[in-house]
This record gives sequence, C-alpha cells and structure tokens, in this order.
Amino acid sequence: MVLDNLGSSLRGSLDKLRGKSRLDEDDVQEIVKEIQRSLLSADVDVSLVMDLSDSIKTRALEEEPPGGTSARDHVLKIVYEELVGLIGESTEIPLESQTIMLAGLQGSGKTTTSAKMAWWFSKKGLRPAVIQTDTFRPGAYDQAKQMCERAEVDFYGDPDCDDPVQIARDGLEATADAEVHIVDTAGRHALEDDLIDEIEEIESVVQPDLNMLVLDAAIGQGAKEQAQQFDESIGIGGVVITKLDGTAKGGGALTAVNETDSSIGFLGMGETVQDIERFEPNGFISRLLGM
Amino acid sequence: VIEEEDLEDPLWELEMALLQSDVEMQVAEEILDTIRGKLIGETRKQVQSTGQLVSEALHDALYEVISVGQFDFDQRIAEADKPVTLIFTGINGVGKTTTIAKLARYFEKQGYSTVLANGDTYRAGANEQIREHADALDKKLIAHEQGGDPAAVIYDAVEYAEAHDIDIVLGDTAGRLHTSNDLMAQLEKIDRVVGPDLTIFVDEAVAGQDAVERARQFNDAAAIDGAILTKADADSNGGAAISIAYVTGKPILFLGVGQGYDHIERFDPEAMVERLLGDEE
Ligand SMILES: Nc1nc2c(ncn2[C@@H]2O[C@H](COP(=O)(O)OP(=O)(O)OP(=O)(O)O)[C@@H](O)[C@H]2O)c(=O)[nH]1
Ligand SMILES: Nc1nc2c(ncn2[C@@H]2O[C@H](COP(=O)(O)OP(=O)(O)OP(=O)(O)O)[C@@H](O)[C@H]2O)c(=O)[nH]1
Ligand SMILES: [K+]
Ligand SMILES: [Mg+2]
Ligand SMILES: [Mg+2]
Repeated sequence: MVLDNLGSSLRGSLDKLRGKSRLDEDDVQEIVKEIQRSLLSADVDVSLVMDLSDSIKTRALEEEPPGGTSARDHVLKIVYEELVGLIGESTEIPLESQTIMLAGLQGSGKTTTSAKMAWWFSKKGLRPAVIQTDTFRPGAYDQAKQMCERAEVDFYGDPDCDDPVQIARDGLEATADAEVHIVDTAGRHALEDDLIDEIEEIESVVQPDLNMLVLDAAIGQGAKEQAQQFDESIGIGGVVITKLDGTAKGGGALTAVNETDSSIGFLGMGETVQDIERFEPNGFISRLLGM
Repeated sequence: VIEEEDLEDPLWELEMALLQSDVEMQVAEEILDTIRGKLIGETRKQVQSTGQLVSEALHDALYEVISVGQFDFDQRIAEADKPVTLIFTGINGVGKTTTIAKLARYFEKQGYSTVLANGDTYRAGANEQIREHADALDKKLIAHEQGGDPAAVIYDAVEYAEAHDIDIVLGDTAGRLHTSNDLMAQLEKIDRVVGPDLTIFVDEAVAGQDAVERARQFNDAAAIDGAILTKADADSNGGAAISIAYVTGKPILFLGVGQGYDHIERFDPEAMVERLLGDEE
C-alpha cells in the first residue's frame, strides 16, 4: 500500500501493532504523536497538525476496521485518507488557451517557474508566452529572457518601463498570438501594503484564469500568513512548490492549500527549465511523513 | 520542589511555541531538555509560579544559543589585513547578492572601499543583476562569462583589490542546494582556492525546519564564520536564527530587513530572544 515505506519512528510505532486487530487508546496516542512529529518536522502549520491528528485519533478509535484488516493497516488507511482529503488532487490545468499569473515571496522561484511552466505547456503542444512584469529586481528582465530562450518560448518584457501594470497590458497585446500567457510578477510579502496593492492592480488588468502562489519547499510557519494575504488580494487557485530537490519537506504548501482552499499544481525540482513536474498526492504525502 | 510532572504541560506548550516560531524540532527538544535538567529539584519561591520559572529558564537558554560566538564584526574588519575577502554562501534565492550590495553600502559608510566579484557564473541574469547593483552603488565589479570558473572570478577580484588598494572583496556565489554533490564540491573548491578571511552563510528568516540541515551541510563544505538572516521584514518568527546558531556554533551577524540598500541591521541577540518570546504570550 501507498504508505508502506514509512519513516523509521512512525514505522516503529506501527510495527508494535502487528498482529493486533483492535487498537486501544495508548496505541493510538503513540501513533498520533509520531504523525504529529513527522508533520511538524515537515513545516505543516502547528494548529493544522493538531486538527489533523485529532481527527485521525477520533476515527482510529471509533471506526471499526473492516473485516480482515489489521489494526496497523486500518490506521494507515485513516492517515492517508485524512491527508488526501486535505491535499486533494493536482490543480486542474486544462490544455487550452488561458492566462496564469504567478505570485509569491521574494526569491521563492517565480521567474524560474514561469519559464518552466511555459516549457511544460509547449511540450503539451500549446504556444506559451511569458510576460515579465518585475520592474524592481535588478536583472529580472535578463533573467526571464534568458530562461525563456532556454525553454524556447516567447517572451515579453520592457527594461525601459517602470510600470508593471503597463508592461502587463502591453505584454498581453504583444503576445496575442500565444495561447497560454504566463505572467511573472516581482517578489513581495504579506506585510508590504504598497506591493500588495500593486499586484491587485496587475491582476485587474491581466484578469488571469488562475493565480498561482509560488512557495519555497523550505518555508516555515509563515506560509499561513503569506497564503492568507495573497488569497485575500488576488485569490489563489493553485500552489507551486519549488526547490523540492533539496531536503525540505514542503509542508508549508499543505498549509497554503488549506488556507486558500486550493490545490497544488506543479513541483519545482531543479534550476533548469525541464525540472518541473505535475503534482501527485502520493509522493507528496510520503515526503511529508518522512519516507 | 519542582518535580518532573510539574514541567510536563508547560514544557509541551513551550515546545509547540518554539515550533510555531520555526525553531527546528530537535533543537527545540534539546533546549527544553536543558531547561528540564535545570529546573527539576529546584525549589520554587513562594512568589514564583512554575510557569514563571520555566519562562525565565527559556529566556536564558535561548539567549545562550542565539548569542553564541558573537564577535565585534566592525572591529574584526578594522583589524584584518587588507584586502579582506568575504565569501557569501547559501541556497538559492535567499538573498546573497542583495546582501552583498547592502554590505558594499554599509562598508562605504565606514570609509572602506570594496570590489564585488560575481562567483555566480551559472544562473540566468546573475551577471546583469550584480552589475546593476555595482553600477547603482558605484562599485567595481569583477565578472566572467557565464559558465566560467567561480573560484577564478573571486581570485581575480582579490588580485584586483591588491593591485588597487581596495579594502574589501565581496565574493558572491551561485545559489545551490546542499543535496547537489557537484555544486557542494565546487563550493569547497572556491573555499580552498580563494581562502577567504570570512565565509558568511546567508539564509532567510522565513525558513522552517530545513534551516538546520542546510546550515550544517554548508558549514561542512566551507566552514562558516557567521551568518546573515534575510527577509526578517517578512517574518515575525525568526526561529531559523536559533536553529542556525545552534548547529553551527557561529554567530548571526546581520539581519536583512527589506530590499533597499540600507535594509540591513546588526543582529541583536537579546532583541531576537524578546521577539521569540513575545510571540508565544
Ligand atoms: N534547486 C532549485 N532551485 C530553484 C528552483 N526553482 C528556482 N530555483 C532557484 O531559486 C532562485 C530564485 O529563483 P527565482 O526564479 O529568481 O525566484 P523569484 O521568485 O523570481 O525571485 P524574485 O523575483 O526576486 O522574487 C534561483 O537561484 C533559481 O535558480 C528549484 O525547483 N530547485
Ligand atoms: N523582503 C526582503 N527581500 C529581500 C531581502 N534580501 C533579499 N531580498 C529579495 O530576495 C530576492 C532574492 O535575492 P537575491 O539577492 O537575488 O538572492 P540570492 O541568494 O543571490 O539568489 P540566487 O543567486 O538566485 O541564489 C530578491 O527579490 C531580493 O530583493 C530582505 O532582507 N527582505
Ligand atoms: K482560493
Ligand atoms: Mg523573479
Ligand atoms: Mg545571487
């Protein structure tokens, strides 16, 4: 089964259930504690972890394991169902004309991801274009342009213009031939009111079909506040987790999905334009639980 | 007298508060163990509650971790033979290049001359980014073509500084994840070839549990002398400071508090403890 290859401490407490057909309160308590530890070490929001572990505990004690199911498999199934319930399926990305805007904290990986996503769409047979609206970060124009050259996709930016809203408007016009428009934005965080206003303005001009929050896999408990703010300002319909080629578990994305009532769409697994994957819940849950 | 079981609830709450502030789990547990060890068997004064005792002990334990190895950075720079070479390391996108730009301004205010060296010969737009900073700050930049040898770039900058009487070399490196063996080996090589006076590890205040792992691995590849924590303006937690100081035993030197050149502050351990403790009340 999906969760067979568990992290060692979690496996240890589950192994004690081998052969048991019923669970007592102590068994459940021990397992729930291990699950809490795994999720907390994965940067899942503390209160979300407590809510999750409460429902796991209640269900494990109250629900009768179906005939023939061992106590161990029963708990595993509950854990898996609870996590899948929260994470859901990958964000739906129709293979048709659309506009996607990327937003997120400074350095989270937006510019890299916009080129990667454009590459991904082009492999699916669509014609994408990236519009770079970041007028603030030095070298942002060149970075996006070079990444788009590597991805062999259309690019629009204007290094001489310092108005992101204007660039967005001009960019959509200049790339009208493209089927998929990916709009990159400058980095910003929840407490920067001016910049939050700015992205709301860009959004009202671009009118994206989907706004995606780009999150570093290593983000800590702050993920919650960031996700809340971006969702409130522009509405987040999907999350991209970057830098998953490191050791961070990406639990902040679970928090973000919970806060924004959205789902995860893409994973970033490296610095080149090909290092992108569609999200897949099983692998992600395994990672969260330390497998 | 305080018994083990009196501490169970308050310590559990503390552990959750520390995790809430992004202190790494194992680090949090070791800090709590210290507190437990100190308090068990202590007699509590009439006027004190167990909660009070625990929170005082926590303050002390956090301060001890976070103030580790603090040294007078300005004095170290002042006394060092010139040119002083600083190399900045860290994972992708944490703010290395921006921090170098900020420090060029910081040093200028103290009357030092600086040269920037772009050891990031990899990332798209890296040369243009640091060039724009160098131009805005009116600093000399040494850069090679994309794909060049990063150690050679920084080495050239050191030679340039020697030839032109420049006080400080600020050597940038490409962002890399500690899981990339090739890139970590390249970092070792830069460290070996250049032999910097100070290796500064840059990480971000918004980082969670992974801060410990990367600090450890970067420290192994190129021993760090201190750390800088960026994006402190985006985050009120800052537990990453605790995690990094704890695993490396090296001081946090500065906080980055915004994207402007003046958005850098000397790190104040006491203020950080207050910030961490303030959160949980
Ligand atoms: N290893 C790895 N590095 C990544 C990944 N995604 C992005 N990066 C790197 O992370 C750093 C920051 O990426 P950017 O795309 O510039 O991030 P950004 O969000 O556009 O940054 P700002 O525009 O400054 O806010 C760069 O060094 C990228 O190469 C990933 O999935 N894995
Ligand atoms: N809010 C805030 N943003 C910062 C701070 N320091 C850096 N940044 C931003 O973070 C983003 C990444 O900064 P860089 O200096 O390019 O980071 P880097 O570590 O050199 O990135 P790579 O070279 O790609 O690994 C940029 O948008 C910076 O403006 C800070 O203290 N606060
Ligand atoms: K939403
Ligand atoms: Mg960008
Ligand atoms: Mg850089």
